[in-house]
Amino acid sequence: MKWTLLIAATLVALAASVLLGPAAVPLNSDIVWNLRAPRAVLAFLVGGALGASGASLQALVRNPLADPFLLGLSGGAGLGAVLAIALHLSGPWALPLAAFAGAIAALVLVYRMGMIGGGALDPRVLLLGGVAVGAFAAAVTTAIVSLADAAELRNAFLWLWGGLSSASWDAVVIVGVYTPIPLLVLMGASRPLDLLALGEEPARYLGADVERVKRRVYLAASLLTAAAVAVSGVIGFVGLVVPHISRLTWGHRHRALLPAAFLGGGALLALADTLARTVVAPRELPVGVVTALIGVPVFALLLRRWTVA
Amino acid sequence: MIRRLFLAVLMLAACRPSDHPAVQASNRIVSLLPSFTEILFAIGAGDRLVGRTTWCDYPDAARDVPSVGDGMPPNIEAVAATKPDLVVLYNSGPNVTAALQLERLGIRTVLLDMNRFEDLGPATRRLGQLTGLEQRAESLATTMDSLTYRPLPPPIASIAFVVWDNPPIIIGAGSYLSQLANLAGARNVFDDVAAPSAQVSLETIAARNPRWIAVLSDSGTAPAFAKRREWRAVPAVRDGRFLLLPGSLFGRPGPRSAEAVRRLQAMLGR
Repeated sequence: MKWTLLIAATLVALAASVLLGPAAVPLNSDIVWNLRAPRAVLAFLVGGALGASGASLQALVRNPLADPFLLGLSGGAGLGAVLAIALHLSGPWALPLAAFAGAIAALVLVYRMGMIGGGALDPRVLLLGGVAVGAFAAAVTTAIVSLADAAELRNAFLWLWGGLSSASWDAVVIVGVYTPIPLLVLMGASRPLDLLALGEEPARYLGADVERVKRRVYLAASLLTAAAVAVSGVIGFVGLVVPHISRLTWGHRHRALLPAAFLGGGALLALADTLARTVVAPRELPVGVVTALIGVPVFALLLRRWTVA
Repeated sequence: MIRRLFLAVLMLAACRPSDHPAVQASNRIVSLLPSFTEILFAIGAGDRLVGRTTWCDYPDAARDVPSVGDGMPPNIEAVAATKPDLVVLYNSGPNVTAALQLERLGIRTVLLDMNRFEDLGPATRRLGQLTGLEQRAESLATTMDSLTYRPLPPPIASIAFVVWDNPPIIIGAGSYLSQLANLAGARNVFDDVAAPSAQVSLETIAARNPRWIAVLSDSGTAPAFAKRREWRAVPAVRDGRFLLLPGSLFGRPGPRSAEAVRRLQAMLGR
């Protein structure tokens, strides 16, 4: 029943984002096919990636506050994007590629810091390392923006705040081919992730290869986030709130939780982007504002029901 | 305590330095906006400039004036070091604070609006008073006013100003550039957006289908987004109908605004 509802909600969100737009144009027009449809699909894929990534990172670091950007990826991606603009790297894919490279650099750096205690990945060090790397990258970014001459750099922050306006079928194909790989890795780790929730020692006794699982989950979740941030900047709240909502409804079994967080994240972002494009048309709201405005009240409501029950 | 401090700031802001009558003509002036620099040169006060911003690149003689930085926000120490008797600032939040700091150092400041064509005449007259060059300022201001208030020609083309591509940010009706387009005979397809600029969806730009996409560009080459696939849904982008407007001439109101209008008119007529 709840799966039927979730799938129905996803389909409704996708249909709405193709049918509704700021401009009244016929549905068979170029605008709907080349702008609205790829944007709807990209919103779904990015939201899904953030939802699944957030759910697995929360399990990995055993911290309910974890979200896909906590581990320094947003700072790295922002630095990459600002560098691309400051160095006048041209070409249509310069910005997303630079952001992706920045996110990967942050990922590698945080991973190395997390491995500080020998071969074992320490979630606490991972968290602190992520915050430190993120803060450092943000500081370098701000220094570049305030020192560089290019006035357009100020606009780089707008990109960083997130949005799906660069959606095209090219981006959909790239993200669509890329995301299933880390997603499958996460799905493959769902049983050990369940065990990890009990703590590392118990998980080890129950037969999980804890170190391998932690490394795999960290890398897969971060690679998902890196792709999302490269095509759409930092879209907040989806990766934090959706996993919690999914956990309240689907429980702690990751085999159900991860697909639910993926579908829920995708549906939420598709819906949020539709609202961002339409409610103040012809103007547009930053989509991160809308995800927070929808996500947080829903979350509060569920939290209340859950604690009362 | 904090409330009292706040009140004091408010009162200081209320008796803004610009309200003081001009006592004597200024001889050492720092201009913190390219528009003011151009006006000061145009009324014959260019040789009294002792400081300008890095953006002040016109007329050529302006480049010989020492730069005090990019002016956003002003570097108070660099400005004060030029020992000015007048600092002209663009009227905005951070500049109000900067003006207060300069006043505290005993330097006279004046904050002037410079957002639209209507601001040109009054700002020019005010600068004329401050420099004792009222007559030349008056004749320049009269020319500017006649441009500002002349009847608009019927639009011959539609236009969208794109100032940023991701997210797309366009120029709305409340801006200098939109006025410039109207005076040159173009209709801004986003004239229903009251704000000076706004973020919009790419699909709105495509659906409104402007004849021209205007961008401020000093390089004279089409913007990078012209090559992106999603932007090719906009017919003007697909067909390469770009108006590449040099920022120094088009990006600021000033004595050359009439020239900017003429140049844009010529481009539209192509």
